[in-house]
Amino acid sequence: MIEVERVNKQFGRLKALHDVSLAVHKGSIYGLVGCNGAGKTTLLKLLAGIYKPDRGLVMIDAQPVFENEAIKEQTVFIPDSLYFFHNYSIQDMANFYASIYAKWSQERFQQLSQVFNIELNRRVKTLSRGMQRQVAFWLGLSLMPEVMILDEPLDGLDPVMRQNVKRLIIQDVAEREMTVIISSHNLRELEDICDHIGILHQGQMVTQKDLDDLKADIHKIQIAFSGEIPRALLEESGALHHEQRGSVAILIVRGVYDQIINRMQAYQPAILDVLPLTLEEIFIYEMGDNGYEISNILY
Amino acid sequence: MFELDLRSRKPVYEQLAEKIIELIVCNVLKPDQQLPSVRVLSGELTINPNTIQKAYRELEHRGYIYSLPGKGSFVRPREAGDNSARINNLKAQLSKVLSEMVYLGVPRDELISTIENLLSRAEGGNIDD
Repeated sequence: MIEVERVNKQFGRLKALHDVSLAVHKGSIYGLVGCNGAGKTTLLKLLAGIYKPDRGLVMIDAQPVFENEAIKEQTVFIPDSLYFFHNYSIQDMANFYASIYAKWSQERFQQLSQVFNIELNRRVKTLSRGMQRQVAFWLGLSLMPEVMILDEPLDGLDPVMRQNVKRLIIQDVAEREMTVIISSHNLRELEDICDHIGILHQGQMVTQKDLDDLKADIHKIQIAFSGEIPRALLEESGALHHEQRGSVAILIVRGVYDQIINRMQAYQPAILDVLPLTLEEIFIYEMGDNGYEISNILY
Repeated sequence: MFELDLRSRKPVYEQLAEKIIELIVCNVLKPDQQLPSVRVLSGELTINPNTIQKAYRELEHRGYIYSLPGKGSFVRPREAGDNSARINNLKAQLSKVLSEMVYLGVPRDELISTIENLLSRAEGGNIDD
């Protein structure tokens, strides 16, 4: 559905994206993560057809996106900083969208008024930040898009509204096979709703995988011995990270669950626990692997 | 019907599969009963429909449910099959519980009689109160 092939984008001397490729299937929810300045927003703006790629292909439905009205008509992009016309009320914005998007559904717009519950004659610019975001989702979902591109979408929404918006998005994915790509720093939240995850770092894609495969590939091991921890274990394990507290060691190891268990059992530990990592932990260790670590600097 | 712990480290599809197995084993979900559709369940739980599909595929693979094209997924009536992997896993859990009980000083006789009691209850089908 969404295909990006070896895309490069440069702003002046700044290389924002370098040979980034990605693919998102129809009806999938793809989570894009990365540290600040990694190029997430640039990538999303390329997907929305706002930027033109310097090199490479950005395609939705096997068609290039840039300046392609047919594709843009079925795509909704909710950017990080929202834009509404001056002095426009919610109703005015709705009329404007209805006039330019063929797929606008008045019925949906009315249904959603029960969820969002903001008076239609309020001027959008006078609303709070969180309410403006609600309006963006309200209008966006009424366009019945095939593709939703969301940049930090849940920022500023209250917990109830976050849940409502997530539910609305998931319903559209389940019922109409809408495709969604989301960037966020809230990894807990991405973990709940995404099926694929891509990690960007300094303009390059570090990993992208099925979320469950990503988790199945890396494990946290808690291992304890009644005596000393065997030296060979720490050397042989090839751990990405290890910590030792007395006779208990915590290792972060890549590999398949069964093989790790077998390898560890060979040392006859007193306790052996293998836990899956949370997305947040995976992110931190993947980034550590790429030289972006949590620094232990104390001021 | 299904409560999931989204804070748990376990993948959501595994949790969901385990929940459903539990309900099948306890006979809450009866043989040939239809499971909720992926669409309905994803709306109810606010979970990605692909994740639910994955759980259903896993359950089908493990022989707990079957699916009829265009109709949905149903509970498969239990029959003997190869469950060795699952059984090994359960044995490991049992050994953890047993070693803790031994450590706490529960005498051998009491352990055995406890197990026998539990066994006769489980074989009896339902738990008498």
